[in-house]
Amino acid sequence: MSSERTRDFGRYVAAADDDVIICRCEEVAKGEIRRAVRDGLFTVHEVRRLLRCGMGLCQGNTCARLVRGIIARELGVAADSLVEATGRAPARPLEMRVFAREQGL
Amino acid sequence: MTRYDLIVIGAGPAGLSAAAEAAGAGLRVAVFDENAKPGGQLFKQIHKFFGAKEHKAKIRGVKIGAELLAEAEKRGAEVFLNSPVAGLYKEREILVRRGEGVGHYKGDAIIVATGAQENMPAFAGWTLPGVMGAGAAQTLMHLHRVKPGKRVLMLGSGNVGLVVGFQLRQAGCELAAVLDAAPRIGGYGVHAAKLARTGVPFYLSHSIVRAWGTDKVTGVVAGEVDGGWNFIPGREKQFEVDTVCIAAGLAPATQLLKMAGCAMRAAGADWLPVCSAVGETSLPGVYAAGDVSGIEEASSAMIEGRLAGGAAARKLGFIGPDEYEERRQVLLAALASLREGMFAPQKRGQISAQTDEGIDLSQTLLRKGYLEEGEVGKYPGVKPAAGIHPVIECTQNIPCNPCRDACPQGCIKVTGGIAALPEYDDRAGCAGCGLCVAVCPGQAIFLLNEDAGDGLAEVTAPYEFLPLPQKGELGAALARSGEKLCPAEVVRVKLAPAFDRTALVTFRVPRDFAMRARFWQKEAAA
Ligand SMILES: Cc1cc2nc3c(=O)[nH]c(=O)nc-3n(C[C@H](O)[C@H](O)[C@H](O)COP(=O)(O)OP(=O)(O)OC[C@H]3O[C@@H](n4cnc5c(N)ncnc54)[C@H](O)[C@@H]3O)c2cc1C
Ligand code: SF4
Ligand code: SF4
Repeated sequence: MSSERTRDFGRYVAAADDDVIICRCEEVAKGEIRRAVRDGLFTVHEVRRLLRCGMGLCQGNTCARLVRGIIARELGVAADSLVEATGRAPARPLEMRVFAREQGL
Repeated sequence: MTRYDLIVIGAGPAGLSAAAEAAGAGLRVAVFDENAKPGGQLFKQIHKFFGAKEHKAKIRGVKIGAELLAEAEKRGAEVFLNSPVAGLYKEREILVRRGEGVGHYKGDAIIVATGAQENMPAFAGWTLPGVMGAGAAQTLMHLHRVKPGKRVLMLGSGNVGLVVGFQLRQAGCELAAVLDAAPRIGGYGVHAAKLARTGVPFYLSHSIVRAWGTDKVTGVVAGEVDGGWNFIPGREKQFEVDTVCIAAGLAPATQLLKMAGCAMRAAGADWLPVCSAVGETSLPGVYAAGDVSGIEEASSAMIEGRLAGGAAARKLGFIGPDEYEERRQVLLAALASLREGMFAPQKRGQISAQTDEGIDLSQTLLRKGYLEEGEVGKYPGVKPAAGIHPVIECTQNIPCNPCRDACPQGCIKVTGGIAALPEYDDRAGCAGCGLCVAVCPGQAIFLLNEDAGDGLAEVTAPYEFLPLPQKGELGAALARSGEKLCPAEVVRVKLAPAFDRTALVTFRVPRDFAMRARFWQKEAAA
């Protein structure tokens, strides 16, 4: 399925709503995600690494589900067959100055 | 590094209940929440809750939150606010922001009760200011006392959309319409009926094509969708609104569980933690409770919290096996009773045509948000009677029964399970006290006196808008659909401590309108 690297899902074809922003933190548009899938990135992980969607301030709280839906539709698979992105700290935005100030160790 | 027997992440209904239960068993408990106020979603829920007594039915959400906090603190749990948890690691360690630094805490058990986040659909213009989650609108209104906008469009007809829609009306906003892409209203019929009778239209099988505006939203194009949720060309409608509220469902906030390495399973469009009946995840000593383990209700979240809190207490040896098992059975039974009825989580996606009693469900209620006059009489809560009597327009099997407990005369029966339809027993003799009207969280009960003299009838309806009408004030009587029926004079406005701030407004209408008039509207707005 999504790991079949050789499978041809067809080329990217522009769509009317390609310029709708999906990840507002990193300003990634729908068309960029669709194109990335057609270029061979079949997992939430890979798309996130290429485009940074879900890596911004909110850590994908808003867009993760949308991104998964778009990838699934491009691949023609059910959304729940796509594994979610890994959860990583910090799960909430932390300034580096705060992060660096360890208390009571 | 500070150690606790139990660390709870999230001070919502699930987290506070877990903390109260565990602290009561003697555990040293710390609760961390990123908000400035405890209670999670509860501190925004100004409406009365469904359920039975043991689920805190008929109490307003905010008050339930305050009670839970008091219970947890009295039992010795420490609640830390303004404390976002940024990491949950192996060996049950958490990283928390505290002021201008970060702290590390370790728990022998951890309960993750982080709730949920709102789903956002991506239509053109969804990033414009003025487009917001229904939860955000609630935060603005109830926490910051700011009106989200003047004229609002609500997308989503689940309970969140319906409840927040009503609260927007209470805050003085106009509600242009409630849209839903599904062909049926998703939330409780009684919640929809509350909105419909104030004149709010429902557009089912409709979604937003785009929102427009330059600096902020000024309008929306909505369109009708087919069974596959594709827009049907030529079926667009425009709404001039300055605010769009999105109530398109919630997704469990599982980030911390995933980070810790808990096993997850796909469930529809979401991934949920794999949990035991008491909420233990695949990592021993790490539990999930409340919406984070699957979206439900505050009432179920509180029980799940107690189950997890009890399980942690048992695991760490604070309570014995017998005591634990006894308590566990009580809680599991309470949880099962909440999961009765046509909206139960295990029935999601199924469509029933009839109530458990074998009465046809109102299709108008499912599509337009109100009951047709001709069908009201089919339901057991509606019986013609002489003198003053209740008319109970509660027609779907929902887990709720405070009306029964409220009636001092024993006029209202909910028999054969909490989700059964309430029945009016006309032999018991209604005293007209109005308690049933005031406690009903669905605002579905009215009092009728069809013979108030001069060919007039008196209708008593629950009223939760300010300013309250005055005795003698002339307004308009509206039908269930919100249609204006006739001028109507207010003859009584009753408030009592037992009504918990729901006023009972009695107005006079011609007798023919007795079974039609269900809302009194101020003349200025009419
Ligand atoms: C409009 C609306 C109306 C509702 N009406 C009803 C009703 O009538 N009856 C009913 O039973 N239910 C109702 N509900 C549902 C109910 O509010 C939720 O099911 C319930 O609040 C879930 O409880 P919880 O404890 O799991 O999560 P929440 O109440 O969401 O609490 C989670 C808490 O965790 C905190 N948190 C999350 N992540 C972190 C982190 N990383 N660090 C620190 N803190 C964190 C959050 O700040 C929050 O305080 C309603 C919900 C909405 C939105
Ligand atoms: S008005 Fe009072 S007596 Fe009559 S049904 Fe309601 S609760 Fe019972
Ligand atoms: S009529 Fe009774 S069962 Fe129905 S919503 Fe009101 S209180 Fe609940």
